[in-house]
Amino acid sequence: MQVNLTINKKLYTLELKGHETLMEVLREHLSMTGTKTACQETECGTCTVMINGKAVLSCITLAANAQGDEITTIEGLANGDVLHPVQQAYVDCGSVQCGFCIPGMIMSSVALLEKNPQPTQEEIEYALDGNICRCAGYPKIFEAVREAGKKMKSEN
Amino acid sequence: MALKSKSKYEDEYVDPVGKSVPRIEGRGIVTGQLKYVFDVYFPNMLIGKMLRSPHAHARIISIDTSKAEALPGVRSVVTYKDTHQIKFGSNEYFFPHTVDQMALEADKVRYIGDEVAAVAAVDEETADAALRLIDVKYEVLPGVFEIEEAIKPGAPQIHESLNNIAVILPVNFGNPERVMKEADLVREDKFWCPVAHPAPMEPHVCVGQWETFTNKITLWSSSQAPFKCREALAKTLKMDLNDVRVIKMAVGGGFGGKLEMLPMDFASCLLSKKAGGLPVKISLTREEEFTTTRRKHGMIYKIKTGVKKDGTILAITGEVLADGGAYCSYGPTVLAAAIMRIFMVYKIQHFRMSGYRVYTNNPISGAMRGFGGVQSGFAIESHMDLIAKDLGMDPIEFRLKNITEPNMVTVNKMILTTNGLRECIEKAAKASGWVEKRGKMKNIKRGIGIGIAADVMGSKMYKSHESAGAIVKVEEDGSVYLFTGAADTGQGSNTALSQIAAHELGVSYSRIKCKAGDTEITPFDTGSFASRVTFISGNAALLGGRDAKLQILEIVAQDNDLDIKDLDIRAEKVIFKKDGKALMSFDKALELCYSFKYGKQIIGRGSYNPKTTPIDFRTGEGNVSGSYGFEAQIAEVEVDTDTGNVKVLELWDAHDIGKAINPQSVESQIEGSLAMGIGYTFYEDLRFKNGRVLNANFAGYRVPRSIGMPKMTTIMVETDELEGPFGAKGMGEASLLPTAAAIANAVEDAIGVRIKELPITADKIIKALKEKSAQKI
Repeated sequence: MQVNLTINKKLYTLELKGHETLMEVLREHLSMTGTKTACQETECGTCTVMINGKAVLSCITLAANAQGDEITTIEGLANGDVLHPVQQAYVDCGSVQCGFCIPGMIMSSVALLEKNPQPTQEEIEYALDGNICRCAGYPKIFEAVREAGKKMKSEN
Repeated sequence: MALKSKSKYEDEYVDPVGKSVPRIEGRGIVTGQLKYVFDVYFPNMLIGKMLRSPHAHARIISIDTSKAEALPGVRSVVTYKDTHQIKFGSNEYFFPHTVDQMALEADKVRYIGDEVAAVAAVDEETADAALRLIDVKYEVLPGVFEIEEAIKPGAPQIHESLNNIAVILPVNFGNPERVMKEADLVREDKFWCPVAHPAPMEPHVCVGQWETFTNKITLWSSSQAPFKCREALAKTLKMDLNDVRVIKMAVGGGFGGKLEMLPMDFASCLLSKKAGGLPVKISLTREEEFTTTRRKHGMIYKIKTGVKKDGTILAITGEVLADGGAYCSYGPTVLAAAIMRIFMVYKIQHFRMSGYRVYTNNPISGAMRGFGGVQSGFAIESHMDLIAKDLGMDPIEFRLKNITEPNMVTVNKMILTTNGLRECIEKAAKASGWVEKRGKMKNIKRGIGIGIAADVMGSKMYKSHESAGAIVKVEEDGSVYLFTGAADTGQGSNTALSQIAAHELGVSYSRIKCKAGDTEITPFDTGSFASRVTFISGNAALLGGRDAKLQILEIVAQDNDLDIKDLDIRAEKVIFKKDGKALMSFDKALELCYSFKYGKQIIGRGSYNPKTTPIDFRTGEGNVSGSYGFEAQIAEVEVDTDTGNVKVLELWDAHDIGKAINPQSVESQIEGSLAMGIGYTFYEDLRFKNGRVLNANFAGYRVPRSIGMPKMTTIMVETDELEGPFGAKGMGEASLLPTAAAIANAVEDAIGVRIKELPITADKIIKALKEKSAQKI
């Protein structure tokens, strides 16, 4: 079947069988390997992308069902060479260790901050609870979300 | 001589050592551009899968692969018949008889998941279908799954060893039995330390390629120890080391689990060979990761201590039984570390402890962050608190009376030089408000507890040496390569090593690009384990920077008719040592090196082997580390006595790290350790029934998530280690060792009950509270 997907504001026309997940299509059909997966069963959050501004797990989203939606992946956040404020904050705050969870973690952070640039600690914890980081123990991730939120608020 | 023009590097120069420069990989990570092996897709790449035993213990009668081979889309199938049947293991140097695993088993399977065959096909569906077509006939044997059952005479024998005991480690010093009689108090405790799993976010993944006509093997690997992986591959495939190239890409976490070659690494190469040299990718599923990769040893830890009334420890005896699972892996040395770490922490003269590494038909136990120290940390630090309580002493006062000191030699000949343990304890106590809080918050069901620990910076338990090498290559335009064999698995070693090399070479950090962990182009390094990289690989990077610098200065001295001894390079300038005055810029000096006249390539070389001695495992003696790190941790908790729920309010961690090369990375390592320690304390517990893992996913095996993380306060104690690069020691594991005990000790302070079997669950708290109130009646 022919499937049209809008990913990072570009339209892609793909010939699919229909059962492919969005994660598979991103990684294997479009070579957009920025989106990772660590469990493929909805438990780790590593494959998070944004669909219409909401954080969504691409490992259980059928690509064919995302036709007509605005899909944003980690590759679509930076503006040219300029990192998105959330990306920049993750670098500046030293929030990354191995980095494997980070694309998903950043997508969840962006989805939160676009709605709520000044979240409380509790709101941050709830927004990121679906994303496992095994290395860094979260404090520096929380810090990055707060810092990015400040910047995003002042930019608006 | 006046400087003509300043380079951008001179303008921006700051001394990189001690600065929180951002991680080299940072921008790659946050944009998704950094490539992991998981992200490798070659044209014509095949997908490989492992066929695993469904039985915990069985004899292999026959394997028929003909139907799988005939399936369209299948490119190769391999079994033991395609191998040299050479066993591999990780303690071959000290315990050769523990080399007991074959990449593809021939006669017997010993746990559910044991590798029997492998297939490579054009896609995953075909590979899965092919696995189902392989016909293996088994004769199922009785299995044994509990440590104490496995060592009974008559238990099913898993290998050839007597009573399933792979290794017995007797560690004896002094005369504990005699001295124990002089004690005012003798206390004995038994603890259970459960099985945890490293559970890195990136499951094991590899791409193997065996170019058949040139006989060249390349393995793109998620290894923590690419050179160790190469050694095992070369040995089992009967190749020379330089026939095998292991390329470590970005690694999505390891925590000890990625320290060894796994059968999948071996199989991907063999499958590739049989498929005419096409690359074969094998990625484990999360379930395979939890069930077939190395896990933390479950341990029964029995410890008995005799003390004087004033709190002086006289003697310690005990026994440690470790559930090794089906094969030995790093087991013997994990066991040794679980017993011998105590000598770094407490002054002990009379000691007798025996360790037993026991085979069971459970999955394979091996290295995991802490390397035996998490188990012993929980047992020993809980036990020490109980002794202090029996003596009516404050737990900190009791510890301060018995801890090791700077510049001492322990009973097993470890040479402790700088030792900030006392300072760590005092600083953590002060920061946490210990004196105001301890024993004074029972009315609000809050408590505070301490645990202390020490750790090695590398350990001579791998092979005859554990050296690290570095090459610092200065290009014609002044840009610099650091080649290191060290394996950055996310801890930030590429960044820290670049900081060290830049400082020593005397140039701006941003000149440096780091190339790491490729066995064909980088120098040898034993890998990322035992918190060794900053210390050992860091010293190699320092020596490489120094050698490059001297090569440049040699030309400068010659050209200016000066003595090289009078010159140095600091902050982007060649200077006179005596007054610090600049002779020329670094760029100018380099122009000279690459001039018509000199044409000298600058390739600095560093090699460092710590001044250590291997452990003599017959006696337990040996100075295994070139430096030792120390650690004190305090936890404050609040217990809900209705639900049994324990909330950690704050953790204070004071860590003697010698010198923080990159303070932000140090803090991040500590915070990551504390989170993992919280996981081990409350919920990380891989559970089994008849050898089958019951919770092989993130829903069943809970790891720390963002909700419920306590406030973490880190205190860096800098003792300026003489042997370390710019005073640095290694770090990254020690902060995980005392967490469970600090929390268990805080729980007792809060509500007066003691949990001796991890994890501390709500039902255990409620049960203990009921038992306590029953005792009162």
